[in-house]
Amino acid sequence: MLRLPILTMLMVLLAIILFVRHKRNQLTIPAGKGCVVPKDWLVSNPHPVTPAEHIRPADQTFLTYPEWFLVHSPAEIADYAQGHTTTTFPYMSHVKQLWQSYGVVYDQIKDAFPFNTGYHIMIWVIGVSTTVEYAMKALYETVVGRLTNPTHGGVVTDEDTFNAKFTQDYVDFIRVRPWYEFDFKSRIPALFTNTSFFGPHFLRKIDRKYMLLTELLIKAGYGYLIKLGTKASYDEALPTTAVIVDQFPPGFGSGPSVDHLQTYPDGSALLLLPRYEAFHPAATTLAQHGATFREIAGNNSAILITVLAPESWQPVSPAFRLVFTQPILTKPGLKRVALVTPVGEFGKTIRFLSGETIRVEHVYDY
Amino acid sequence: MRLKDKLPLSYLLFTTRGRINRSAYWLVSAFIWSTFYVLHTLLRDFVGEGATYCLYPLLLGSLVATATKRLHDTNRSGYWLLVVLVPVLGPLWLIYQLGFRKGTPQQNGFGTVPNEAADYLKNDRGQSIPHRPTAERIINDVTQLNPVVVAKVFRPTSIAHLQERLRTTTGPISVGGGRFSMGGQTASQQSLHIDMRELNQIISFSKENRLITVQTGIRWCDIQRFIDPHDLSIKIMQTYANFTVGGALSVNCHGRYMGHGPLILSVRAIEVVLANGTLVRASRTENPALFYGAIGGYNGLGIMVTAELDLEDNVAVRREHQKLDRLTYRPFFVESIRDNPDAVFHNGDMYPPSFTNMRAVTWVKTTQKPTVKKRLMPLRESYPLERYFLWAFTETAFGKWRREHIVDPLLYLAHPIHWRNYEAGYDVAELEPRSRKKRTYVLQEYFVPIWHFESFSEQMSEIFNRYQVNVINVSVRHALPDSGSLLAWAREEVFAFVVYYKQRTHAVEKNKVAIWTRELIDAVLSVGGTYYLPYQVHATPDQFHRAYPNAQTLFALKQELDPAFRFRNVFWDTYYHPTVTEPRSLPQHTTNYE
Repeated sequence: MLRLPILTMLMVLLAIILFVRHKRNQLTIPAGKGCVVPKDWLVSNPHPVTPAEHIRPADQTFLTYPEWFLVHSPAEIADYAQGHTTTTFPYMSHVKQLWQSYGVVYDQIKDAFPFNTGYHIMIWVIGVSTTVEYAMKALYETVVGRLTNPTHGGVVTDEDTFNAKFTQDYVDFIRVRPWYEFDFKSRIPALFTNTSFFGPHFLRKIDRKYMLLTELLIKAGYGYLIKLGTKASYDEALPTTAVIVDQFPPGFGSGPSVDHLQTYPDGSALLLLPRYEAFHPAATTLAQHGATFREIAGNNSAILITVLAPESWQPVSPAFRLVFTQPILTKPGLKRVALVTPVGEFGKTIRFLSGETIRVEHVYDY
Repeated sequence: MRLKDKLPLSYLLFTTRGRINRSAYWLVSAFIWSTFYVLHTLLRDFVGEGATYCLYPLLLGSLVATATKRLHDTNRSGYWLLVVLVPVLGPLWLIYQLGFRKGTPQQNGFGTVPNEAADYLKNDRGQSIPHRPTAERIINDVTQLNPVVVAKVFRPTSIAHLQERLRTTTGPISVGGGRFSMGGQTASQQSLHIDMRELNQIISFSKENRLITVQTGIRWCDIQRFIDPHDLSIKIMQTYANFTVGGALSVNCHGRYMGHGPLILSVRAIEVVLANGTLVRASRTENPALFYGAIGGYNGLGIMVTAELDLEDNVAVRREHQKLDRLTYRPFFVESIRDNPDAVFHNGDMYPPSFTNMRAVTWVKTTQKPTVKKRLMPLRESYPLERYFLWAFTETAFGKWRREHIVDPLLYLAHPIHWRNYEAGYDVAELEPRSRKKRTYVLQEYFVPIWHFESFSEQMSEIFNRYQVNVINVSVRHALPDSGSLLAWAREEVFAFVVYYKQRTHAVEKNKVAIWTRELIDAVLSVGGTYYLPYQVHATPDQFHRAYPNAQTLFALKQELDPAFRFRNVFWDTYYHPTVTEPRSLPQHTTNYE
């Protein structure tokens, strides 16, 4: 029976063509071909003043983007889940945005810095895991979820409400802690105690219970394994980012979020700011007090910032360069803009952005 | 025609019957999902979201159908699909079962092993004639070159049943079993055709004495299945196991066995139903004339209904081979194969078109573990590679050169070890072309006293090249002398030249074959050899009698035992012209030597 192999080859080929063609170019739009960041913004600091234990590689500001996309993406899902069931969420488009943006940020650093093997492996691990998760979800939602989903797509069952809350809690958690520390296990009994067994949309309820139970079980198990693996292969990450400003802003009291460690003879100051999610508000406060940044985590090269802005926002400034934009698929009219600015211009850029009608999504503090 | 053959794809996608193996499951899954994705995308983009819902019955239906077939392969019912309802573990278990677990190696409650045939290739039970609502049937052999219209087909289910029929009727009778002879030896025009394939019982078996008695409608493969668990093997048979014992006895066949020869050497006794319906036992001591006349006697004297056969141990055999020049073959054979007690099978393949190079292949006894797990040869539904090679060797430029210098060296890289029963269990299906309508594959065979090996090879190769015969293979085997059958083809120690060739089926081509065949027969007679009789009856009566000097003795015996000339077939119709019976016109296609 030679017909089947030939037909299969044809169909797989057609499917690949359709998949690749489908809206490909509108999901991640690079600002230009290859590296769009000026070369002199991509040089490791030869003589950092920051103490060695606080220094992180300069290319990591770019490489943390794919990692953070895996926070932005669940955040978008959680947001979407407030008004719709997640059955209609465009999972596969997010998979594409993840890998495309990884490609774009890698284009920026590949010629300027040595290959950061450990970080790339980490990105591949979480990227592939997420791809598998999203693909399974997309598959399940297409084959089963679509058939039980209410026609208006709204949240009608306890289970979909449970899902919305769980997704939101999860996002709030991973903004500050690694995902695998999330307590999936305790949600399993909650899934059954917080929802009724019988009720309207019975099939939908069964389908969601099955799907949520599967998700929680797998994530609890996988999270446990990753926790073991991470402990074995990576050191506990520092929860702080060291910053050097040309002078500690007068009248800026050392608060809980900014720790003034040291002042150097030239008047510059070494500060400890919180890392990750809380870095941005702390750094913004400093900038607004007029601080000029000299080093962040030991680097004076480019730092990546993403903002959520309306479709029409087209900023131009010598202080920063656009790297790429991504439409927010569930919020037509809104886009994510990734831009870079040298650390020396960081305060200026932040002050500029604060004056615009946009929201800074994240500062990628290496 | 089975639904499976007619609608392979819809059978695969939308029925839950049968089994599929892992690779077929992966392939069909790729097909289902990619097709769903393509149709889903197209419908959504060009018709609308709602239109995609029409795909779901097809998607779910085909997923369930193919998964059920795959579960069947591991002998589980399709209801096991419900396991998917158990979160996490259910789907994981199913993925393993469907995608990775091997099917049960034998036939199970849901069917035969995928891609394996349920049985050896069989000939039909006689084709009816379109628009002729009579009992007449066309009896043909595997080559499809020898259609003969018989008056009626009769299938006895017991020996008594057969005796009864012979007692109560008069008129011509032809007898057939597997029908793998290639010259109408199983049919005669307007005869009563007796299809022996239902007389297929094993009558007695003794493991200690290594002896089995069977009804002759049984096939060699059926005997193999029966004796294999007892670690026994057939002593002498031909390479292909599709044939019935009765047919093999009638032509006194041979195989590739060393230290043996014609089949008669392994037969202790036979029982024969004569033309008047009486049952007679014959052995070397009891009715020896009947014993020697019936075996290899092309069903002229009576119908052999039982046979007592010697068995041997089923041993493991390892393949050894060497390529050599035709001139060095006989010395090599005499030196290292002929008296080697470990040699079980041997044949020498001559490479066309020059026939100067040979590959000697010997299977020798070994104590090593067989390299194939199966004890009996698994049967396949199709033999695409074999079919391709046969086509390529016979139809493409340099096909024969590629076979000798590329394909065969690769095929012979391995050193397989088989059980003797495995190596004796080939299925004729591997030789079957897609169609025999315009071209067909045919056998002939010539027996040459071993000292004349070189001179006959020389003459043969000259004739083949002069007539541009599309020879696929000449396989040389060895046989010890016959113990006395009247139509003995091995009256002394001989080499058998088994010629497998391809011919077109139109009349001119058939005639051309007849001409070079007669030339080849003259060549073999010139070195004191013979040609083999189960093939097309191209030899002139003169050639026949020169090749088989004892034929007259057999004819006299037939006159005595079958005075009314009841037992007929194309062979007897061609060469036997008794005076006592009313003259019968010869079948048309036997007149082509005139």
